[in-house]
Amino acid sequence: MNSLMTHPNPRQKFVLQGIALVILGAVFFPVWNVLKKTHVSDVPISSVARVPDPLSNLFNDLYFFLSISFLAILLGVTCAFYLQEWLPETNWVRRLVENQVSILSGIPSLLYGLLAVLIFLPYSGVIQKIETVSSDGNVGAASLKATVFQGDTTLFYAMLLTFVILVMPRVIKTTQAALRSVPMPIRESAYALGASRSQVLMKHVVPIAFPLILAGGCRAMSCAFATAALFIGVCIWSHAPQSGQMTGGFVLFLGGSLILSILSSFLIERYSPVPTRNT
Amino acid sequence: MKNMHTNGNNGSQTTPIIEISDLKVHYGDKSALNGISFDVYKNEILGIIGPAQSGKTTLLKVINRTLEFTSQTSIEGSVKLDGVDISTIGDVYGLRRRIGMVLPLPVGLPLSIYDNVAFAPRTAGVRAKSELNEIVERCLQQAALWDEVKDRLDTLGTKLSGGQQQRLTIARALSHQPEILCLDEFSIAVDPVTTMRIEDVLDTLRTEMTILLVTNLVQQAKRLADRTAFMLNGDLVEIDTTDVIFSDNPANQATYDYVNGNFG
Ligand SMILES: Nc1ncnc2c1ncn2[C@@H]1O[C@H](COP(=O)(O)OP(=O)(O)OP(=O)(O)O)[C@@H](O)[C@H]1O
Ligand SMILES: [Mg+2]
Repeated sequence: MNSLMTHPNPRQKFVLQGIALVILGAVFFPVWNVLKKTHVSDVPISSVARVPDPLSNLFNDLYFFLSISFLAILLGVTCAFYLQEWLPETNWVRRLVENQVSILSGIPSLLYGLLAVLIFLPYSGVIQKIETVSSDGNVGAASLKATVFQGDTTLFYAMLLTFVILVMPRVIKTTQAALRSVPMPIRESAYALGASRSQVLMKHVVPIAFPLILAGGCRAMSCAFATAALFIGVCIWSHAPQSGQMTGGFVLFLGGSLILSILSSFLIERYSPVPTRNT
Repeated sequence: MKNMHTNGNNGSQTTPIIEISDLKVHYGDKSALNGISFDVYKNEILGIIGPAQSGKTTLLKVINRTLEFTSQTSIEGSVKLDGVDISTIGDVYGLRRRIGMVLPLPVGLPLSIYDNVAFAPRTAGVRAKSELNEIVERCLQQAALWDEVKDRLDTLGTKLSGGQQQRLTIARALSHQPEILCLDEFSIAVDPVTTMRIEDVLDTLRTEMTILLVTNLVQQAKRLADRTAFMLNGDLVEIDTTDVIFSDNPANQATYDYVNGNFG
């Protein structure tokens, strides 16, 4: 049944990839434009320079990432539910979104990381500037990282956008797969008992699909964290190689990414529904 | 249809509870039922036999309107329940509660044994704990499962053995006191002893409700059914009293061959 969506013919595919590129461009072009206008002098150095405690900033960043990822996941899950449970398979909105999602989620997360580096690094002159400003001899890589995210709200939002684009399609895809994996007889049994659609969803489908939805969220977040680690790493190594150390942030994101991906594999291994004969 | 007399345990009972006329079902372009017509009488056990792909499951799904969840299906013709066309019934949840459905493989909902059985009454609005307890006990008794599970009603239904789970789904199907009980090859994952126990259960239920028994074991239909229908590739080949279908001269040669195991 899904063959309609997952196997567009080559010409359709070409058109769809074009649309995906346009969407990507539409997202990044304004960001690029804003960035170009941002001069180093515009950066509110004062606010950055009084970064007191590298560690607290670290947690701020982590907290920020967690909340953004969480929001993106929530949004993605909601989209997936709407697509999978409310729209019929033949609905053109559903088909369009599913195609886009399948293309966007196929882009390696590494590419997003490189994109982030390409866009943000030229503007991290900010960092050097700040390094000279706060010359109290204690400009560790941690405070350097802090400046990357706190130096400019534009950078901030650009990062945010990148992560939403990175996380959401992945989450939509895995959530839809999780919902599809709930054996049809379970839904049919619940409906046969007189349950309404929302009762079937809340009492039966969600409890079964939940671990897999969670696994999808973890995997997407793992990608996001790995990208963040790459970004931070490149920033550090290109601007403060003399520090010779990885920051806590780098380690945290890398470690978080690893743990999340292991967790997601575990969830998938443990909770994938056993295939049921579909009569 | 052609033969209106019934025999078996219900003597002269001939009030139709389900009237199916010229029912056609398509999945996409593929036809699954090519225009079948027959009546189901009140308080009879109607056995439905036929090889794989003959449309038996599809027929049951039409009756409780769960075929609506399969996309790109089309239904023509009419199915009347107590004289009312089911496609015109607004309260489809109420309709489904009038029909109990047991699927081929036991489908343990991800709930405790108690909640599995209490699910339908709860969705129908029963809240009082004492009333729910009563329903749960009655249904588990009816399904011959009570003695085995009465001490662990809180454990997950999926932790039971296959045969127990199938009896649990029967208890669940009885929990909303259906007028019609549909069973779709219920014994596929059940050992012969449990199958016999469930058949005994069905035998006692025949006085209270109408039973549609889809089965791939022709002997099961012979043991239980008052009348038997033979379906083949979406057509109703023959429907008659079980005695006639299993006799040496049913109306159709294909019926004889299928029943006697030299089909195809
Ligand atoms: N969801 C579906 N999508 C497409 N075709 C279907 C679907 N379900 C059933 N069919 C087709 O409808 C026809 C009748 O199927 P059905 O499941 O009703 O047969 P059955 O008599 O119950 O068979 P079995 O004894 O194997 O359970 C078959 O040809 C089958 O391929
Ligand atoms: Mg079947």
